[in-house]
Amino acid sequence: MLELDHVSKSYNKGKVKAVDDLTLTVAPGEIFGFLGPNGAGKTTTIKMIVGLLRPDTGTVAVNGFDTQKDALKCKSITTYVPDYPAIYERLTGLEYLNFIGDVYGVLKKERLERIENWLEIFDLTQAVSSPIQSYSHGMKQKIVLIAALLPSPQVMVLDEPMVGLDPRASHHIKGLMREHCDQGKTLFFSTHIMEVAEKLCDRIGIINKGKLVACGTMDELRKLNAEQSLEHIFLDLTDK
Amino acid sequence: MKRLFTLIRVALKVNFGLSVLYHRVFRQKKDIWIGLVAVLILISIIPTIYGYLKLVEGIYSALKPVGQEQALLTFALLAGQFLILVFGLYYVVSAFYFSKDLDMLIPLPLKPFEVMLSKFIVILVNEYLTVLPIVAPVLVYFGILGKAGLSYWVNALIIYLLLPVIPLAIVSILVVGMMRVVNLSRKKDALIIVGSLLLIAASIGLQFVFGRSGRSQLDANAMVNFFTSPDSLLKRVGAGFPPSIWATKALAGGFSGPALLNLLIFAGTSLALFYGMLVTAEKLFYRGLVGIGEISGRRKALSQAEMSRLVSSGRRPVKAIFWREWRIMNRTPIFLLNGVLTVILIPILFIVMARSGTGDNAFILKALGSAKSVYVILASACFLLICGCLNGTSSSTFSREGGQFWMSKIIPVTPREQVMAKFLHSYLIALLGVCAGSVLLILVLHLKLAVCAAAIMFGLVGAAGMTALGMIIDLARPLLEWTNPQKAIKQNLNVLFSIFADLGILAVLGFFIRVLTKAGIRGNSILVLVFAVLILLSWLSYWFLLRMAAKRYREIEV
Repeated sequence: MLELDHVSKSYNKGKVKAVDDLTLTVAPGEIFGFLGPNGAGKTTTIKMIVGLLRPDTGTVAVNGFDTQKDALKCKSITTYVPDYPAIYERLTGLEYLNFIGDVYGVLKKERLERIENWLEIFDLTQAVSSPIQSYSHGMKQKIVLIAALLPSPQVMVLDEPMVGLDPRASHHIKGLMREHCDQGKTLFFSTHIMEVAEKLCDRIGIINKGKLVACGTMDELRKLNAEQSLEHIFLDLTDK
Repeated sequence: MKRLFTLIRVALKVNFGLSVLYHRVFRQKKDIWIGLVAVLILISIIPTIYGYLKLVEGIYSALKPVGQEQALLTFALLAGQFLILVFGLYYVVSAFYFSKDLDMLIPLPLKPFEVMLSKFIVILVNEYLTVLPIVAPVLVYFGILGKAGLSYWVNALIIYLLLPVIPLAIVSILVVGMMRVVNLSRKKDALIIVGSLLLIAASIGLQFVFGRSGRSQLDANAMVNFFTSPDSLLKRVGAGFPPSIWATKALAGGFSGPALLNLLIFAGTSLALFYGMLVTAEKLFYRGLVGIGEISGRRKALSQAEMSRLVSSGRRPVKAIFWREWRIMNRTPIFLLNGVLTVILIPILFIVMARSGTGDNAFILKALGSAKSVYVILASACFLLICGCLNGTSSSTFSREGGQFWMSKIIPVTPREQVMAKFLHSYLIALLGVCAGSVLLILVLHLKLAVCAAAIMFGLVGAAGMTALGMIIDLARPLLEWTNPQKAIKQNLNVLFSIFADLGILAVLGFFIRVLTKAGIRGNSILVLVFAVLILLSWLSYWFLLRMAAKRYREIEV
């Protein structure tokens, strides 16, 4: 469960309003897609959810815990995949996964089982003992995804997770996202790929110039603009 | 040419963060305190500069009656060039081969020498700043004391501008050649470290050889030569590096024929080496550079048994973060050279300089062997602290995370635990330095074991405080935006502030000991008091660090 209550964030001493009075709730078991043009405030919102940025006003809560007041509780049930896989390049893939397992406290049995399973799925079994420095962009993205899945978090927050992934990996990640939410967990992700959002998300939010301009299921969004495809709805709503 | 100038301008802007600084100070009205800090730093170094000028004046007055005052210039120029030679190595390896912008520069329609030249100019400007406090006061004061004319000032300016070119060009040619070979191998990181160590060893060896030759010359010719020949001391000092003699003669002679000839030789050598460097760059730079960052992994699946052995269990955040720090530090060549290797190198450098008899260190080490045991313990402890703490490990511990700091912000580990793990790592490196220093104290100075053990006790306690202090300084303003790992440690002001702070603490402790001695307090009581003060300072620093961590981890936004 994820709740953003009147959240605002500005830069440049208030001159640039990146996120403006954003309120939304993502229920357990829900995949929430967050769309918006470049610079609309998607990454800023995501960074506030995971605690990388502090909101100027408003609150963010994960499973009822305030991200500012109960930061540690929130962090222990949330994982995050950034838009660019800036990770410890000098560690091997396995060392990195072990690091994540150690800080989230994943037990050995589960850790072994999950790591082996996802390495297999994402075709990284051969590379896991090599330094991350030797990985391609897509491989780095995959190892960050595996790391985010490893603690089996209550809430996953992903910033454009499909970027750099090959079609097979994209297919797998979509399946894993659905599986994650079918267990009653929450998933919040941003994307520019309309098809993915349309097919995968239970609900979609569209942000433009820091304001949430639309939010609902695909059917609700269609009613809103009398348009058929999400692409047209998006273009219409953000062309202002 | 216009393309080259644009490239150099951009490189300088990026290196000094000029655009970002302008944006933050003048547009966002942030970081205005930087100006205040700069003023404070300038004010704080005034006493040091004053002391240095007094020293220069003293040496000048002592040398002038025997006609040896020019040796002062040679000393300063030689020291500056030697410094450039050693520091330049770090700068060159890092800027030429590990800047992240190289991936963007290589595909551009630029010639290899243009890319390397832009990097070279950035290092050159950095070196002007590095040697400024050592060379400039001597040049200026020498001119003032000797009531020099216009010719002196013109030559001084030319020489100052050319000063870093020879050592930097030599280092660049060596490094570019070395990297060409390194890039052929799979073990690139290891070769970079070994190669850099060999170059450092060569420069130390040079110092050793010249120090020795200088001393034997002094022994052989006794004092006769010292007084009779107008430039004998100068020759002896400059024997290590002839360009400093050419520069001295050019400075001393003004616009006279021999002086201009020396200036011509100095400038000609600089330009020849510079040109040689450009030719080397055009031929070898890209061959050594392209693919240097690519590491080929072994791509072999782990067996079930291996996997089971390597995968750990449960929550152990401090251990996990400690190992992360340890691995990243030791696997990044630039960090390794500045961390573990520096703490081992400092004692070796100290001893080589002492053995070669060129520096004051010989005197210090001799004095250590003859003074009262209380002072030997304190002086040895001071030496051990210098060995263990005058490196950038603790004062760059947050900065080194750079763009990966986001992970420290999101993991479910309290700032307190994270900082404890980082402290353990930095303290371990400091302990390594204390151990290396202790080995040398015992083996080279034949210090009694009991005395050495006491010094180690002081060193261990003091190192804890200095480690915490370094971390506090870095945590106050971590440098997280860097494209070149060099910036996180070697060009990080936090490292410099921390070294100043450590030296300041040692100076204050020295003053404290002096006051105690004057007050008639006996030997062992001094030891007890100093030890108590060290414990208190270390505990306070560590306590403050932990308190500060919770606040700063929340405040730092990435």
